Amino acid sequence: MNQDTRPGGDVPSPCNNVCRMNPDTGLCEGCFRTLDEIAAWSAMSDAEKRAVLAQLPARRTLR
Amino acid sequence: MKLPEGIQVIERGWLSSNNVVLHARTGAVVVDSGYGAHVAQTLALLERVLAGKKLARLVNTHCHSDHMGGNAAIQKKYGCRTSVPDGEAPLIDRWDEQALILAIADQRAERFRYDDTFRDGDTLRMGGYDWRVIAAPGHDTHAVMFHSPEARVLISGDAFWENGFGVVFPQLFGRDTALAETRATLEAIGRLEVDVVIPGHGRPFGDAGAALERAFYRLEGYEEDITRLARHCAKVMLSFALLEKRSMPLAELPAYVARVPILAELNSRYLRMTPAAMAEWLVNELERAGAVRRNDGMLYAAGN
Ligand SMILES: [Zn+2]
Repeated sequence: MNQDTRPGGDVPSPCNNVCRMNPDTGLCEGCFRTLDEIAAWSAMSDAEKRAVLAQLPARRTLR
Repeated sequence: MKLPEGIQVIERGWLSSNNVVLHARTGAVVVDSGYGAHVAQTLALLERVLAGKKLARLVNTHCHSDHMGGNAAIQKKYGCRTSVPDGEAPLIDRWDEQALILAIADQRAERFRYDDTFRDGDTLRMGGYDWRVIAAPGHDTHAVMFHSPEARVLISGDAFWENGFGVVFPQLFGRDTALAETRATLEAIGRLEVDVVIPGHGRPFGDAGAALERAFYRLEGYEEDITRLARHCAKVMLSFALLEKRSMPLAELPAYVARVPILAELNSRYLRMTPAAMAEWLVNELERAGAVRRNDGMLYAAGN
């Protein structure tokens, strides 16, 4: 319990605490990442994180 | 942040703690299980990360809802051994909603069983490393951290973050040692050999010394003026509740702050406002911090 500061990092996590997978799209209903992207986020380089973030706007339309 | 071989962190936001997966051929260990409402995703993430390997053990740094909320479901799925800090055991035995900060803070968690306990000074073999259990009272009196001298990694739970530490409760329900405990815990961290800290929330980070300085600075602010801590605590409790609920009608907020025991107690002891004034103050503060927004009579968690 929490909320002292946002999670750190030069590239902020897109997690918005919804954390529920959509079975049709295979994406999180909150941040539109795949399970693999969420699981790997913490180990990604900033460039890899930015590459994931760049894909999210287009995925929103799959909703 | 590059982590030593076999150590993996599943990092989400603030409602669910990080899940730290310690891989080993003899079976993986997961440290902390996230918030109950997220458990379906937590199970799916673990399945992905374990890739068919066995989950041998689940351990908790402490038993707050955002760290043990997935315990029951993980036990059900994997039948894994579950271990908790010894100080938490009696609270779990009687499912103490006050001490576990559940109903008193409008939080929920599914009841679970534990198989054994560990305590300060014990050594746990997890994921190919020996982890020393270190008492970390403050945010939670019974919390622990895990330190591997070999991997030079500290799993700190909510006792120590990159920017501060998990909320410390000012004197509430008769307990008034939390700030002194927090200081002792930060001092203990300062004596450890650490290259990487894996906090309970947020990314793993490297410069423990600089983070300790920030944590001490914050602590001094609370030590100087306890009402600062009370105000912070009230903001944290409401924003956590809002993350779970996603939104709340603004008109219901005065009744909410009067009804939820921890908010009501903070108000009667420290803030001394009418419920309506407290609700208004909280919304203004959280809005200014970018944690909430209001629209059409509703209060929303940021990003929603
Ligand atoms: Zn906590």
